[in-house]
Order: sequence, then structure tokens, then C-alpha cells
Amino acid sequence: MLTALILLPVAAAIVVALIPGRRREIHLPLGIALSVMPLALAGYLFWVFEPAAGFQYVVDVPWYEPWGIAWNLGVDGISLPMVVLTTLLVPIALAASTTITNRTKEFVMYTLLLEAGMIGAFLALDLFLFFVFFEAMLIPMYFIIGIWGTERRIYAAVKFFIYTAFGSALMLAAIIGLALTYASQEGSASFALSDLAGLELSVGTERIFFAAFAIAFAIKVPLFPFHTWLPDAHVEAPTAGSVLLAAVLLKLGTYGLLRFNLSLFPDASVDAIPIMAILAVVGIIYGAVVAIVQPDLKKLVAYSSVSHLGFIVLGTFALTSGGLQGAVIQNVNHGLTTGALFLLVGMIYDRRHTKKIADFGGLQKTVPLLAGFFLFMTFASIGLPGLNGFVGEFLVLIGSYPALPSFTVIAALGVVLAAIYLLWAYERVFTGVPDKEENSVLSDLSGREIALLVPITVLIIVIGLYPKLLLDKITPSTEAVLDRIVEQTDYTMPEPGRIGDVFVAGGE
Amino acid sequence: MITPPEISWIAIAPDLALAIGAAVVLLVDVQWKPAPRVLGWVVGAVLAAAAGLTILQWAQGADAMAAGDTESLVAFSGLITMDGFAIFSRFVLIAATGLGLAAGWRFVVSLGRRGAEAIALVLLATTGFSLMVAANNLVMLFLGLEVGSIALYVLAGLARERRESEEAAIKYFLLGSFASAVFIYGVALIYAGTGQFEILGIRQLLNDFVISSPAVIYIGIGLVVAGLGFKVSAAPFHTWAPDVYQGAPAGLVGYMAAVAKVAGFAAIARILLTAFSDLSDTWLPVVAGISVLSMVLGSVLALVQGDVRRLLAYSGVAHAGFIMTGVVGGATDGVLFYLAIYAIQLVGAFAVVAVVSGPDGAGSSLDEYRGLGRRSPLLAGAFTILLLGMGGLPITSGFVAKFGVFTDAWAEGYQWLVIVAVIASVVAFAFYIRVIVVMYMDDAAEESPLRVGPERWVLALAVGATILWGIFPSSLLDLAADALPI
Repeated sequence: MLTALILLPVAAAIVVALIPGRRREIHLPLGIALSVMPLALAGYLFWVFEPAAGFQYVVDVPWYEPWGIAWNLGVDGISLPMVVLTTLLVPIALAASTTITNRTKEFVMYTLLLEAGMIGAFLALDLFLFFVFFEAMLIPMYFIIGIWGTERRIYAAVKFFIYTAFGSALMLAAIIGLALTYASQEGSASFALSDLAGLELSVGTERIFFAAFAIAFAIKVPLFPFHTWLPDAHVEAPTAGSVLLAAVLLKLGTYGLLRFNLSLFPDASVDAIPIMAILAVVGIIYGAVVAIVQPDLKKLVAYSSVSHLGFIVLGTFALTSGGLQGAVIQNVNHGLTTGALFLLVGMIYDRRHTKKIADFGGLQKTVPLLAGFFLFMTFASIGLPGLNGFVGEFLVLIGSYPALPSFTVIAALGVVLAAIYLLWAYERVFTGVPDKEENSVLSDLSGREIALLVPITVLIIVIGLYPKLLLDKITPSTEAVLDRIVEQTDYTMPEPGRIGDVFVAGGE
Repeated sequence: MITPPEISWIAIAPDLALAIGAAVVLLVDVQWKPAPRVLGWVVGAVLAAAAGLTILQWAQGADAMAAGDTESLVAFSGLITMDGFAIFSRFVLIAATGLGLAAGWRFVVSLGRRGAEAIALVLLATTGFSLMVAANNLVMLFLGLEVGSIALYVLAGLARERRESEEAAIKYFLLGSFASAVFIYGVALIYAGTGQFEILGIRQLLNDFVISSPAVIYIGIGLVVAGLGFKVSAAPFHTWAPDVYQGAPAGLVGYMAAVAKVAGFAAIARILLTAFSDLSDTWLPVVAGISVLSMVLGSVLALVQGDVRRLLAYSGVAHAGFIMTGVVGGATDGVLFYLAIYAIQLVGAFAVVAVVSGPDGAGSSLDEYRGLGRRSPLLAGAFTILLLGMGGLPITSGFVAKFGVFTDAWAEGYQWLVIVAVIASVVAFAFYIRVIVVMYMDDAAEESPLRVGPERWVLALAVGATILWGIFPSSLLDLAADALPI
């Protein structure tokens, strides 16, 4: 089933490729229709997923045995939400791309291939396979930014590519090193996560490998100070590119830290807590402060991502139940809300062809629906109780406090700053009197645009009011990660480290 | 009385086929002055025969290996071997020849009556290199090297109406013969130190005895590596490559570069890993140094090139460095796999160059590729896949190849080399990506699609191989793993 999940988008891309280029009006609708199939499959997967069973639907077919490479896939509570999120956002991103009129066919193909790469990276349990997907994903994204982006698109695309490729090159060296260490200890080659996680590494080696992986993922997240590619990429990318970049691609960084760094290098992870926490908190505050002063709406949302992803990293490296749960659920939340914010910015841009905050004012009067959705997403992003952002941030903060009290206090400031930059931006764009003539003649959201936003809105409310739906699936897996760390290292979890359990129990 | 060596026909059968084929092509041309198409059939038959005989050799060699009878694989009193290593390399050479001729076919046709010369030279070059990869004797190896190289010098100057082609030929010839001299001097010093020309003999000697004053041998190894390093355009012996790649006829450059690399690296790997494996402590640092220098210089200089052929030349320098990491790793299968993959991609890439700049065209500035994605989407798509394959993107064969040699080097304890290599690969991506940017993200100067001739088959095969062996590498990897030198 998991193989099908990866191959469906590839097959869809091939189908789209076979339609002649002249019939350009069918490419996009066909792409959307085809991309609903993986969504349906992912939804079914979510339905039948057994939280307590660890990795499920495992596929393990040898690929090249002498090297120990395998087509090894599996899903657990950490990857499941990400897969569902990916499959959900691809049709939405495609449907939001009606403004793309040149080379539609290629655009749809690249987006579908990107989807395959993302799903593959989330499902891979073999490091070689993960690396293959992790890298292969760069090409479609590179083309999406480079061909359909705005003025400085080529600069942004190349910068995106080189940054990420550099990070993953170091990771590749570390993967080779890990696999060879395994081969020399066990006598047979393997790249399987489960095999490599059991390796005995010397302290120095483990730290170097940890650093190689962490840098690769930190660039992807992006964690301060590796974030400089992100605003460029976001600002220049077309709406669909921004949505997928923010909602899914960046999550590969946080997902990778959680999945690979914590399980492969437990000792080094424990030792790295202070460094990662400092970087995370600096990212939270720095991203927020820079977001406040951004004159460009899209850049503002991009920097808000830097800030929000800092929370996820903080939660991950708090190494408590609440922190990890919060990190996973915030992965989803950020994907939904930031994805939606990028959609909305794109919709505004389609109407006014500018993203400068100063060009707007009083849009509330002319486009009340758009303003309403924007305000709603703003609230979700800030973490208003009852919406999804609250659940995630609350879990992260409550989970991090016992482990890293001072960092948590500073990070909490980020929540306040988020309220400042988002609400201030809302105020400047939407409230007041429409004093510019262009702004008073805009059309409000069309039915299609509403249809794009409604599923996201519903999910935001559902997760906000009933997080148990997700937490039940996530918790056993995050607990398993924690158990391994507690077992393998002399790490003692701060009291009350397992407060997440209490929180979930309280929800019942 | 001197007893003549026993003749083992099977050991030289493919080479004979190629050499006779070259003669046949010339004779047929003189006698009947046929249409180019007929020569095409002849050369196709020659290559098919050579490939068939090579497969036959493989089968026989595998039987002998399985029976533990390695002695029967050495023929002509130890001049030639028929081990898997030689046969695999020879097969790659023949494949590159077929693809290279198809890519350069329009150039061959455009030469008119001189076309047969070009074909015969290509076949002779392949014969020489094919003997070179099979040589078990340093003098034999030198003979093969010279037969191949001299044919290549002439090929570089075949478009003699163009000044760049002449310049390329002269430059290639002068520097190339200097390198050959360096090589043969190294061979002489090795003979002085060991009293042996035979590769297996040297290995035996170094195995059995401790050489008390090995300095002569060390210098000899250094000179041999330098001479061969020139042939494979490894830094710092690479300076000829950009000019020759730029000046030589577009269609044949891919072939020339590919066979020289395959044969040169096969010789380096055989000499270092077989004859001098006991002295590896001495040459490993040197080879690692050449590797680093090639990767860094090649990648960085390729970044600033404004001409696709020069870019490919410098990227070839970087690739020489990557393959050297495989030599450092000490495993021949990684090197062979890389060579096979890279040879095919190189010929494919130059097939694109030949289409864009015309069959005999000089230069190929990046501007000519502007908007190629719109003008000829299939051509641009094929080029993109080949470039990404050379860059080593996962799901292309280039990644598997790089992964293999890097893993070997890491296992050998050269972790720092692997780290330099992965960083160089990223830089390499940057210049491949530059070409892709120009093809897809700039507007075309003219809109008319380019005419693609027989190059399309080359491209189809090269792209197919790049993707197929990227996703299912095991078929070729298994073969390479079996292709061991004795």
C-alpha cells in the first residue's frame, strides 16, 4: 500500500505527460483529479492505522543486496500525519494555480513528482532510500521556483538548490560512514534505520555524524543561522510552490531531526540539547522580530515560518512527551495555517499584483470574505485557544518547561511577537478606509477559492477542538522514541516529563 | 632458438575484429566508393562482431575463473590477459565506440570521401585502447596507449578546415606525446627497479621480496601515474582538455574523451591495484592528492566557463578526481561501474552538443542553449537528465556510481577525501544546474526546433541507461563486481 502511495503521483505525472501539450485546458483539472487518489489512499491509511503497532505496512524488498540497500517503507504515528498533510495540500496547491498559464503541463508534472518525493521521504525506513527521495525532491521544486517564480526566481532557485544540496552532501557522507561502521561491526551491509539505530558508536564519531545530519536538516527547517535561503525562495516561488515548500518541504527538516537524529544518535542528541535549544529560541525570536518589520506580506509569512519552526525544534529537543507530541502536531498545524496564509497572500497578489503591505489598506470593506479567512488563519497561527495552533504551542511549551525552563520562557515571548506581527500586518492590510483606488474595486473570493480554504479551515477547528484525534495516533510513536532514548542513554527525563500523558488523559 | 609465443586467438579476437574492420572500411571505400550508409552497415557489423567476441571471452573467462584456472587467462607469454577486468573495460570501449560513431555520424558524412578515414581511425583507436586495458605487460600497455592516442590526435584535427580543430590536434599531439614519453620513462624506471615488465610478475616480486632501495620504483610509479593522468585529464595534467574538447569535431569529442578516460583509468587501476598493491602506502597519498586537486580545480573552474564544451571538459577533470577516489578505495568494481556510466553519459552529452552546434561546429557558447527547453523539449530534457546524472542526483546512475566509489574510499580510511568529494559534487551541481537554467528559464533567441539525426538513438540509450541503472543498478553492479583483475 505504501508503495502505491508513492507510485500513484508518479503514475499521475506520466498520465499528464502523455496528454499532448496543445490540450492545455485539461492538464490542470486532470492533475487535480489524479492527485485526489493519493489523498483518498492516505485518508484510508489514517483510518486503518493502529497507533500501538509501531511501524506498519512495512515493505522491505532488497534493492541491491551487496550494499544492503532496500526498498524499505513503513508508517508510524510520526510520519502518518505528514503523509496525510502532503496528499491533502497537493490538490489544493494545484487548484490554486489557475493563474499559471504557460507550460501548465510541466507544472502539473513537477508538482506530482514533488509529491511522490515528499511522500517517499516520509515513508522511507532505509537511509539510502531516504536520501534518494530527499535529494530527488529538489529538482521538481527547483524547476517550480525557477520557471514559474517572479523576477528574481533563478537566483532564488539556485540558492535553494545549493543550500540544500550542500547540507545533504554532508549527510550522505555520514550515511556512508554509518553504514560502513555497521558493516564492520556486523559483517553485513545495511542501511535500514532499525539496524543502524542499534550501532555502538564512539562518542566522537556519534557527535560528528549527529552534526552532519543536524546541519542537513537545520538547513531544510531552516534553523537560524541557515535560514537565509528561505525568504528568497518563498518570495519568488509561485503560490503552489510556497504552499508546498512551507507546509511540507520544511517539515522534512523537523521530521528528519525527530526521526533520524533522535533515533540514530541518542547520546549525541542528549548532549546537543543546549545547542539545538539555543538555535531554536534564537530562531523563534529572530524570525518574529524580522517578520515585524517586513514590508512584503509574503516575506512576513516566510519569516513567521522561521519563528514557528523554532518551536518545533525546541519541542523536539526538549525530549519530553509533551515536547515531542507538540512538535509532531505543530508540524501539521504549521503546514495547515502557513499553507493557508500563503494561499491567501497568493489570492491577494492575483488581485492586486503586489505584495507590499504599504500598497494595501481597508481591504476588509472590499473583500470581507478574504479578510475573514485571513483573520481566521492569523488567529490559528498565533495560537488562539480552540484552534490548532494553540494545541501545538501549548504542548511544546508545557513539554519544554520542565526540561528547559529559561528557554521556554523566552520562546513564549515568540507567541506574543507572533500576535504583534500578524495582527499588525492584518491591521495595515485589511482595516481602515480603503484610501487607494485600486483597492476599492477588488472582487471577493470566488467559489473555487473558498472551496480551497474550507477543508483547511475545518481541519484547523477539528484539531483545535479535538486534538485527541491526532494525538492518539501520534503518542505511541513519540513515546517509543523517548523510551529508546531513556533506555540507551543515561538521560533522566525531568519531572514531570510525561505530562503529555496527563494532558491526553484529561481530554478523554 | 627463440620459441614463438603460443597464439591464443580468443584473447585478441575482438581487437583483431576491430583492426580488420578498420582495414575493411578503408578497402571497401577505395574499391566501391559506397554511400555512407553502406559504411555504416559495415562498421555496425564490425562492432557487433567485436562485442559478440567479447561476450564469448567473458563466458570463457568466467569458466576459467570458476575452475580456478587463472593461468589460461594470460596469453602470449604474459603480454595479454583475458580477465574480467579487461573484458568489462573492453565492452565499455566498444559500446562507447558505437554510441560515439552514431553521435558523430553526421560529421562523418559531412567529411565526404574522408568519412571512411574517420571511421577507420575510430576503430583503430578503439583497438589500441582495447589492447591497453587487456595488457599484462607495461610495454604492451604502452603500445596500446600509443595506437589509441595517435588515432585520437588525428581525429581531433579531422575538421582541418577549421583553425580551432587544427589547434586542438597540435596541442593534443604535443602534450600527449610528452605525456607518453613521461609514461615510458616511468616504465623504464620500474623495469630498472624490478627487472620486470609484467604486471603480475611485479606483483609476485614485490610480494616475495622486500626491495631495499625502492626509490627508483617510486619515481617510476609517479611518472606512470602522471603519464596516464594526462590521458584521463586529471589535475594537474588537465590543461589540454578544455582546448581539445572545444576544438575537436563536436560529434566525436564525446567518443574521444570517453575512451581515453576508460582506458586510462583501467590502466591506472590495473597498475596500481595489481602490480603495486603492496606499495599502496606510498602511492595512496599521491593518488588522493591528485584526486582532491582534480575535484576542486575541475569543479571550481567549470563554474566560470561560458562554453558548454569547456564546461564539460572541466567537469571531466572533476570526474577524473571522483574516479580516483575509487582507485584510492582500492576496489575495481566501483571504478569500472563509474567508468561505464560516465562514458555513456559523456557520449550522450556531446551528442547534444553536436546537435546544437552543428556536426563539425566549433565552440558552443552557453548562449546557444538559451531557451532550448522550448525549441527542442526532448533534446533539452535528455540533456537535463544526462547533466543531472553526471552531477550524481539520486535515481540516476551517476549517484550510484559516486556512492560506490565514495563508499570504497571511506572504507579504506580516507574519510576526509570523501568529505571533500561530496562537497565538490555539490559545486559540480551548481554548474550543471547553470546549463539547465539557461535551457529552461531563459527565452530562446530563435524558436525553430533543431534537427536531430542519428543522435536521437544515442540520447535514447544514454538517458535510458542513466535512469535504468539509477533505479536498478544491480545488473551492472553485479557484472562489475565479477570483473576482477587476476
